[in-house]
Amino acid sequence: MATIDSPEKPERLLSRTTRERLVAAGRHAALLVWSFVVLFPLYWIVSMSLKPPSEAISLPPDWIFLPTVYNYVQLLQQSSFITAFGNSVFMVSTSVVLVLLIGVPAAYVLSRYDVPKQRDVLVWILSSRMLPPVAVVIPFFVIFRTLNLYDTRIGMIFMYITINISVVIWVMKAFFDGIPETLEEAARVDGATQFQAFRKVILPAAKPGIFSVAIISFIFAWIELLFSLVLTNNNAVTVTMQVYQFIGVRQIEWGMLAAATTATIIPIALFVIVVNKYLAAGLSFGVVVKE
Amino acid sequence: MSTPTQTTKSDPSVLVRLRDLWNDYLPYWFMAPMVLVMLLITIFPGAYDLYLSLVEYKLSEPGTMGQFNGLDNFRTAFTSGGAVNSFTLTIIFVSGALALETVLGFLLAALVTGVKSERMKTFYRVAFILPMAVAPVSLATITRIMLNSEIGVIPYMITQYTPFAAPNFLSDIPLLTVMLVDTWNWTPFMFIIFYAGMSSVPETLLEASRVDGAPLWRRYVHVIIPYMKPVLFVAILIRLIDLFRTFGLVFSLTSGGPGTQTELVSINIFQTGFTFVDLGAASAIAIVYLVGIIALCNILIIKIGFEGVWE
Repeated sequence: MATIDSPEKPERLLSRTTRERLVAAGRHAALLVWSFVVLFPLYWIVSMSLKPPSEAISLPPDWIFLPTVYNYVQLLQQSSFITAFGNSVFMVSTSVVLVLLIGVPAAYVLSRYDVPKQRDVLVWILSSRMLPPVAVVIPFFVIFRTLNLYDTRIGMIFMYITINISVVIWVMKAFFDGIPETLEEAARVDGATQFQAFRKVILPAAKPGIFSVAIISFIFAWIELLFSLVLTNNNAVTVTMQVYQFIGVRQIEWGMLAAATTATIIPIALFVIVVNKYLAAGLSFGVVVKE
Repeated sequence: MSTPTQTTKSDPSVLVRLRDLWNDYLPYWFMAPMVLVMLLITIFPGAYDLYLSLVEYKLSEPGTMGQFNGLDNFRTAFTSGGAVNSFTLTIIFVSGALALETVLGFLLAALVTGVKSERMKTFYRVAFILPMAVAPVSLATITRIMLNSEIGVIPYMITQYTPFAAPNFLSDIPLLTVMLVDTWNWTPFMFIIFYAGMSSVPETLLEASRVDGAPLWRRYVHVIIPYMKPVLFVAILIRLIDLFRTFGLVFSLTSGGPGTQTELVSINIFQTGFTFVDLGAASAIAIVYLVGIIALCNILIIKIGFEGVWE
């Protein structure tokens, strides 16, 4: 692409529009290849969930088959799956809202103010993610038992916050660093307080960052298995634990597993589609503010 | 304030004072909840692991439980256990997967940013994020069936539609397979952060370089990458740490095998702690691991990250 674009070439073989079309075609070809790599396994899971058990893992694969909702009906008949699903939606959403409320303002301060020993503070924050989860879960098991937090939703929401807080702060600090300070200085000159400048000027400009960090935190909490395995039992069971149970001691029920996996992907897909719109809106707003 | 009749007037003044308190100490209010949470989640588990690493804690030998034994746990872990092997494997796994995911994530972000049609842009953006939504435990199970040399669709398709013979992914090239599956799963993380970072490069900067007639690669090297530097650095650092933590995927995909060919440190810790029920030795490995990662991150932050990211 670089050579085609290069202005030093005196004679051009192709006209400008033809070149642009070729570049666009190449771009889409590359992106479609990756789309296939990404979507084929997902298609495979969904199609497995829609096949009757006898066909689920047959080779050569049945490319054309009569879809059945058998696996989903089986899944919904287990009330524990629906409960776990509801639990996960509630606990994960709450934890994302809380972790943003705690993390985004702190990231702003770390970006704008002279925090003493700033680098050490940031490394300390990141260190919360460095301990292997296996090592973290043992102490929390002990403390949750003592504080009656074992197998509660509050306990799990807290654990989800611990997973995400460092990511929220680090990514958001990087975003705030990219937003020129002149923006809030202008707002301050116009008579806004520091808080008003933050809320009305900085937050809108940081929207792309906030939405990507919200998606990431949601996903990190949603797919977490180890903590729910050790810290829940009945009341706060999560959806990943339900999936895990399909691979238990008995023979794997492929159709059910595929249906359960499909069901766990749906909320994320919906969340990404909804937030995606705001992500795009946030982006254009950021550009408008900067000009 | 002194007389009751003035209460209506004093109420706003209390509010005003509260507001002043809020505004004057804003950075402190903003930091306080974070500091509180961080104290809770670092001090306790860290101290508890340190304690465990220094005492005898074999669930199989309750008689000696809790006895201080100096550095015995560290000796056990690094002489009899496969700790050294697992550290080597982890370094190979982390560097390979990190390189793949960073390069792919950046390329995809750059390609999608340039797409003109809004509808296609949305399609790519949503599709490329989806693999992250597959929980490692589901992914491992699905991978096992899709890659199985007898009933798997991927070896089947390779043999049918390409001139190559499909390798036996999980027994011939287990570490590479784990790396590729992780790349499928987590390139979206890099993509989404790079994409958001790239989108916040001010249009005026890009316009200026376009007007100057700078070729595409120059625009990246001199405008886009320098502007995105903090975001690039942070995404790579977080992914680096998460790769060191990789557990669920490898555990359910290969359980560290065949043999010990994919026994990463986190698997080694889990097996020492829960299969051989020696929590003392497991915590010792975890502590060495933690110190190693913190040292590595500090080197990266000081050597690479200092300029541009920390000012």
